[in-house]
Amino acid sequence: MKIAFLAESPADQAALTILTEAILGCKAEAISHTGLRSRGWPMVRTVLPSVLKDLHYQSEAEGFVMIVDSNGALPHLPEHELPNPHEPKCRLCQLRQIADNTLSQIHPRAGLAPLKTAIGLAVPEIEAWLLCGVDPHVTEAAWTNGLKEGREPYSKEDLKQQLYGTSHPSLALETQKMTEAATRLSQNLSALEKLFPNGFGAMLKSLRSW
Amino acid sequence: MIESIEFRNFKALREATLPLSRFTLIVGPNGSGKSTGLKGITAFQNPGVYHHKNLRTAGVPETVPVGVTARWTDADGAQVGSLLWSASEGTRVAYYVPNASSQAVKVAEVLQGARIFALDAVAIAQPVQLQPNMEMAQSGALLAGVLDRLRDQHPERFEAVNKELGRWVPEFDRILFETPGSGQRSMALRTREGHYPIKAVELSQGTLIALALLTIANSAKPPSIVCLEEPDRGLHPRLLRDVKDALYRLAYPEGSGEKREPVQVIATTHNPYFLDLFREHPEEIVIAEKVGLESKFSRLSDRKDLNEILADAPLSEVWYSGVLGGVPAGT
Repeated sequence: MKIAFLAESPADQAALTILTEAILGCKAEAISHTGLRSRGWPMVRTVLPSVLKDLHYQSEAEGFVMIVDSNGALPHLPEHELPNPHEPKCRLCQLRQIADNTLSQIHPRAGLAPLKTAIGLAVPEIEAWLLCGVDPHVTEAAWTNGLKEGREPYSKEDLKQQLYGTSHPSLALETQKMTEAATRLSQNLSALEKLFPNGFGAMLKSLRSW
Repeated sequence: MIESIEFRNFKALREATLPLSRFTLIVGPNGSGKSTGLKGITAFQNPGVYHHKNLRTAGVPETVPVGVTARWTDADGAQVGSLLWSASEGTRVAYYVPNASSQAVKVAEVLQGARIFALDAVAIAQPVQLQPNMEMAQSGALLAGVLDRLRDQHPERFEAVNKELGRWVPEFDRILFETPGSGQRSMALRTREGHYPIKAVELSQGTLIALALLTIANSAKPPSIVCLEEPDRGLHPRLLRDVKDALYRLAYPEGSGEKREPVQVIATTHNPYFLDLFREHPEEIVIAEKVGLESKFSRLSDRKDLNEILADAPLSEVWYSGVLGGVPAGT
């Protein structure tokens, strides 16, 4: 299947590709638009419509996958999945709405089905997903409960330190460690879904619906 | 590690303290003291060449002394001493080591080894006369000689530069050397396709600056303190993460698998994309501010409301807005 990824770095894209392939059970074929990059939140909101329109009209992509970090913002919650779900403070809801609005306004493309999308919300960042099975304290629930109590149960620096062994990893080290962790998790997606049921779970459900 | 540099009546820095980390990125308007701060650090190398009348802040009486004090901390972060140089009316600069311990001597040596680089593509591309020991000049001149020595003395590091360059600028895969005259060296880059040599003088500004940055980052014996004026100059925004990695390779060698002592790195920039890359380390960002004839420095992480300010906005846009300071007056 031909899939386009929008990620902040080649390291993020490598991990996202491995997880996506594990969920879909097939290889993600390269498209002509490789290496789409965003500069993170909130710029990704601005660039997303342009990326989707370009993929729709100018590429052979069948699917589109992206993730964004929640950082200190409201994580995606089960109630956001109810009918008429848009929660303006949730980054995943915002991106979904932008994607839905964009794709609903474009003309059908000849010979290809509409672009399928899957968006994930890493709480608070992708390193947390990749520590699944390594640090039992790093979970979506722990982070969400911490925010409700006005505290962060662990810092993003803690997560980087755990995954990379340094708070200042090079891109090469990030790519290596993320690839290793994503490969490990690709054998145990259910654990990732259990510990990150909303941010990862939302992406998983979208991908399984393709 | 040099923890701060205090300036008194030193050019535009009448009363300012530059806080430093292992890596420090200084942003601020033109003429806000960024380069003066870097010069203050390297002034420790040859204090005798500086004269009071050339250093004194404009408008300050002649009788007022000029001083620069470096404070440093040990590996645990405890402050262990300071080093001062000062000049009074009619005198040249002299060192004063308040506690003349072995630590102070060591730090004096560290300051002696500081280098400023303001890389210039034209200078980088020039052929060089080979010497037994080649050191890159402030402009990046002599690079061909430095790389020639790196190839001969540290071939694994030379190969690392080749490999990194091939990733940064994929159309090239190897540094080549030519001998334009007796005892001279010049550089060329080999194209990946066809293996054609492209002379350094024909290369783009960004390619030459990338080559100089990679050479500094992969040096076997880098300067004890590396000061870089706008290392992002001439480079595509997508290469800025690589520039950051090259500088972090010096400052945080463990993050790149390097086994050597960290080098303190101080860089300046006007590039908002480059600034955004350091958002998660506000303690590494220093804002330079000009108020009238005076300049001041402040560490971004000292802002108590930083998390609220940056909650839903990119650092670069907040900086541009003026909320953080460090923007030109009247613009």
